Amino acid sequence: MKKLLAVLLLLLLGSAPAWAVLGEHVATVASDQKYLRGEVRATVQQGYSVQQITAADQSVVNEYVSPAGMVFGISWRGTVMPNLQLLLGSYYAQFQQAAQSRVRRRGPLVLRTDQLVVESGGHLRSFHGRAYVPSLLPRNVSAEVVR
Amino acid sequence: MNLRKGLIIRLCFCLALLTALWVLASCGGSGNQVNTTGNSSGSTTTVNNTQSIEVNLGPANNYVNGLFASVTICVHGTSTCQTIPNMLVDTGSEGVRVLASQLSLSLPAITDSGNNPLQECLGFADGSFLWGPVESADIQLAGETALSVPLQVVAAPDTGIPVPSSCSSGGGVNQGTVAGLGANGILGIGNFRQDCGGACTAASSQVPALYFLCPNSACQVTSVPLADQLQNPVWLFPQDNNGLLISLPSVSAGGAQTVSGSLIFGIGTQSNNALGSAQVYTTDANGDFQTTFKNVAYSQSFIDSGSNALYFLDSNTLGIPDCSDNTGFYCPGSTINYSATNTGLNGAAASLSFSIANADSLFNTNNGNNAAFNNLGGDSPGNFDWGMPFFYGHNVFIGIEGQAGPTGVIGPYWAY
Repeated sequence: MKKLLAVLLLLLLGSAPAWAVLGEHVATVASDQKYLRGEVRATVQQGYSVQQITAADQSVVNEYVSPAGMVFGISWRGTVMPNLQLLLGSYYAQFQQAAQSRVRRRGPLVLRTDQLVVESGGHLRSFHGRAYVPSLLPRNVSAEVVR
Repeated sequence: MNLRKGLIIRLCFCLALLTALWVLASCGGSGNQVNTTGNSSGSTTTVNNTQSIEVNLGPANNYVNGLFASVTICVHGTSTCQTIPNMLVDTGSEGVRVLASQLSLSLPAITDSGNNPLQECLGFADGSFLWGPVESADIQLAGETALSVPLQVVAAPDTGIPVPSSCSSGGGVNQGTVAGLGANGILGIGNFRQDCGGACTAASSQVPALYFLCPNSACQVTSVPLADQLQNPVWLFPQDNNGLLISLPSVSAGGAQTVSGSLIFGIGTQSNNALGSAQVYTTDANGDFQTTFKNVAYSQSFIDSGSNALYFLDSNTLGIPDCSDNTGFYCPGSTINYSATNTGLNGAAASLSFSIANADSLFNTNNGNNAAFNNLGGDSPGNFDWGMPFFYGHNVFIGIEGQAGPTGVIGPYWAY
């Protein structure tokens, strides 16, 4: 039995795509029209769904959504670093604290606590990373799906 | 005809000589050299293509595995120059970025047609960022000169433009100080001609948030033509412009206080920069290649002198502990030897060996005075970031995009 169930829909959103941030409900989050104008491709996997957004600058953000509509993970890749304040939402402060307490390390950033995992790496022209909230992972879904 | 041709050749030779003398005169005291060869055609000049580099703790005395060089910046077409020491040599970015606090020259701004100065926000993977205007200057490295090169003046105090919130949204530290950056600036000499390239030349609504225009202090992302973007100065040299070579000696297992080496410009252009037995690994369009470790392939792997350790995978995957004192570094009970295989886009593949030692111990060796470590590792889940330890003990060539290497290979590529 294959895990992949179906590719549901391919939407072309012109001006106001729905935009969700980590730890919030996919439907209740106000859109950020400035940040994202692009193509949204939604796929349903076993136990969760993914909204892949290809922004106008060709950067890609994936949102991982639980069956209850909660965004439990995000991932990104692009030429420059994404706006993590937007993507991480209320979890941004935790990330900010980790980013500012760096000692000696000059390179990728890894934050791993019980509440939040953030992995941010790469270089100019090729940044990539992911973030997820362990407590929001749907039942029987591994954190490894967030990639 | 012959007479006229001879005259032209002599004129050319005189011009070359004059140019050489001008370069010499304009850089008095900075140690630069220019040598002209007595080539019969008079058209070839061989310049000093070797810039000394050093790994040390840097100007803030806080940088581990920081590779530093001096960069001479000149007001275009004049002998008004300033040599900035302690510029971090970064193969993970392109362009010269100098802290305004370290720059005494007044340079012309790059502006749009409305005379608005171009601003740049460079965010790094760790969330830190550099913000400041783009200005233009001549750049000298060893005996090589690139003319009218756009560079970034970081944290310029007099622009009256506050850092836009979208720039600081990375969450990290504004690195606009020597203490924050750990350097006086960055010498970005990676695989590309410009820092952004074609991605930033599209319509302004479709470009990455890298360059900004800020009329009335309200900053908007803008597209920028290639020529106005920050430039890897190497590809703008009149010669030795197809890439470069970083040559550093080996470091012993306990580390070293300083390590001295050479930045050599050009690949296969002079007697000191032949590829020799080095294997060429081409990269994808973004500068990445594949690293295979224990039969698992990790794409989006890369080499980066601006990363100060071998950042790869994570402690769970490797089965070794993270450090208790120095978070983010590996602290195995005893040194562990690993091997991994890098595979270029061209299919070239070879394994390499490396070691990871206990970082808490390394940082305490020699009363904490050591700056260079070839066995320092930390986590980077899902890929390999081959940082500074990779560079010790062999020659590493960096081929620049669109520039032809000695065997006909076109950049971007690495060779080692």
